[in-house]
Amino acid sequence: MSAKLLLLIIKISWLSLWRNKRRTFISLFSIIIGTGIPIFFVCIAWGFYAGLIDDVARLMSGHITYEHKDYRNSPSNDLWVGDTIKINNTLTNNDNILFTKQIVNLQGVAHTAKGSVGISLMGIEPKKEIAISFLPENIIEGKYLSKVDERLVVVGEKLAKNLNIAIGKKFVFTTNDIKGELTEELFRVKGIFKTGSKEIDGHLIQSNIAIARKVAGLSNDEISQLGIIVKNPDEHEVLIDELQKSLAKNNGIFLSWQKIMPDVATTIRMDRTAITFFMIMLVVIVLFTMFSTILMSTLERKREFASLLAIGTQQIELKVQIFFETIFFGLIGCPLGALVGVGVAKWTEGYDMLNVVGGKSEDMSVGGFGMDTVITPLFSAPLIMQICFFFFLAVQLLSFFPIHLISKISITDELRSA
Amino acid sequence: MNSNQEIVSLKNVVKNYGSGQVAIKALQDIDLKIYKGDFSVMMGPSGCGKSTLLNIIGGLDRVTSGSVIFNGKDFNLLTNKELSLIRRNEIGFVFQNYNLLPVLTAYENAEYVLMLQNIPISQRKEKVMNLFKEMDLEGLENRLPRELSGGQQQRVAIARAVVSNPLLVLADEITANVDSKTAQSLLTLMEKLNKTNNTTFLFSTHDPIVKNFARKVILLKDGLIDKEEQASKNI
Ligand SMILES: Nc1ncnc2c1ncn2[C@@H]1O[C@H](COP(=O)(O)OP(=O)(O)OP(=O)(O)O)[C@@H](O)[C@H]1O
Ligand SMILES: [Mg+2]
Repeated sequence: MSAKLLLLIIKISWLSLWRNKRRTFISLFSIIIGTGIPIFFVCIAWGFYAGLIDDVARLMSGHITYEHKDYRNSPSNDLWVGDTIKINNTLTNNDNILFTKQIVNLQGVAHTAKGSVGISLMGIEPKKEIAISFLPENIIEGKYLSKVDERLVVVGEKLAKNLNIAIGKKFVFTTNDIKGELTEELFRVKGIFKTGSKEIDGHLIQSNIAIARKVAGLSNDEISQLGIIVKNPDEHEVLIDELQKSLAKNNGIFLSWQKIMPDVATTIRMDRTAITFFMIMLVVIVLFTMFSTILMSTLERKREFASLLAIGTQQIELKVQIFFETIFFGLIGCPLGALVGVGVAKWTEGYDMLNVVGGKSEDMSVGGFGMDTVITPLFSAPLIMQICFFFFLAVQLLSFFPIHLISKISITDELRSA
Repeated sequence: MNSNQEIVSLKNVVKNYGSGQVAIKALQDIDLKIYKGDFSVMMGPSGCGKSTLLNIIGGLDRVTSGSVIFNGKDFNLLTNKELSLIRRNEIGFVFQNYNLLPVLTAYENAEYVLMLQNIPISQRKEKVMNLFKEMDLEGLENRLPRELSGGQQQRVAIARAVVSNPLLVLADEITANVDSKTAQSLLTLMEKLNKTNNTTFLFSTHDPIVKNFARKVILLKDGLIDKEEQASKNI
């Protein structure tokens, strides 16, 4: 087949596409739906996950956490990592890293006249926490911590209710120091926060890291966790390897958020699988309607094909013609579908899902963490292209059967049936 | 006008549809020769096997037994692909329903065969334009088939069939869908092509107009050649 002939065949394909405009538009519409809807959903859903992951990472111990290697299995107070000032300084100079946060965690019990509740004290640097985490923004009463606050803490709304404490009120915190000795500390409530997560609002308190260190008996260079907020949370595996090799000391280990928060990771993974499955179902249905139109348009032209074969057109030349018809469908439909999907996702940006589904934001949680219900789509070009390409390929596969039919055409029968 | 150059030679050609008791014997025992420059017509009652014979000569269909020698090549020994290439390069077809490609213009439809044959553009243009002039199709080059009358479409179809100077042009009932005046002009045109280019034509028809133009009439009956006669209108 010469290049000129190929061009002519491609031209015939293109022109044939527009012979039955209505059918072509129906097919194009199916392709646009078939690519647009998955892309829309994926942008929205992946946006939610990305937002959730980022929120949780910033609230807790980062996208990457440096901690004692046994801390995961039993987060007890005596599992700490040292030499962190030096490590921290190196990390701050890394271009892939946005922030680091030093954390001292202490598991213990809070006592008031009302009763006792098991809690987790998180010692942080207030200035950093304000820059990194959304918790300081969620103070509903009182104020967030500052560096000079010694024995002041912020507590979750549920915890405040359970302990029956208000702003300015005191409670006793009992815990073990790193040597296993029982210690006590008196704290006063400076602020009350509400994150929407039952776990956090019911069991977390934050204090200055200095007082937490003092209670635990840790030196200035020692902490429970070093949280790392990275620029690109999707590509942290390489960074983790690198950090582990160059910075980790004795018992320290760098872990990804997936390892730190397996519940969240698992829930997201399951959710993604469900969405992917649902999308594939949808795509199959759309492809089915496509298939029937492509098949019909081939069957309808059997006589025309027969007469072309009669005058010496080779089967392969007709097959190429049909193949290009679906290529054109894909080339027009898939990018348009992507555009529509992205466009609609963009259009819904900032809309609160609660307006649609109803209910309270507390009820929306993933792995124990409250979820932001405002739509913030994530437009990942590789992912969008992947969906486009997948659908494009699927449409091309559809043409195989009509192409196969070409070799079955009986020229004489078709010409006689004129 | 016909030389003695033999283009087609059929020997004991039998064509059955189906097999066994229920087989339809479309052609029973056909011996036929076609010479370069012939302008022949096959006639006979409906179902006598005219189209079947035409299809076999054109390499569109295979014989049940017997042999078809086309320009020295035995069709029985050729693959479908080789037959297809012979149709492309050496045979022209004109159909009752014109069967032009609806998305191409008149010019492009005629040019199509030359494209298949990989003829360079300058020659393609010259050939098509000359032919269009000769066939009174000038000015219609850029029309789509649906913008042409039946007679005009059939002229374009004839142009497509003869543009590459094929050895043989086969035409099955080509006047069935046009009025007698148009039929007359189509035949006049083909007769002219026959005379000027020595193109060989074989028609199948019921139409007495076609018969009037023929120099040889082949009468078929029940799948057999009943009579072969030189027509009265001899030149
Ligand atoms: N594919 C087929 N299967 C079965 N029988 C067929 C087939 N094609 C043709 N026939 C039979 O073969 C015989 C010859 O048919 P053919 O079409 O050649 O006739 P014809 O002379 O061209 O008729 P007409 O003048 O009506 O066009 C007829 O009896 C027809 O029914
Ligand atoms: Mg017939």
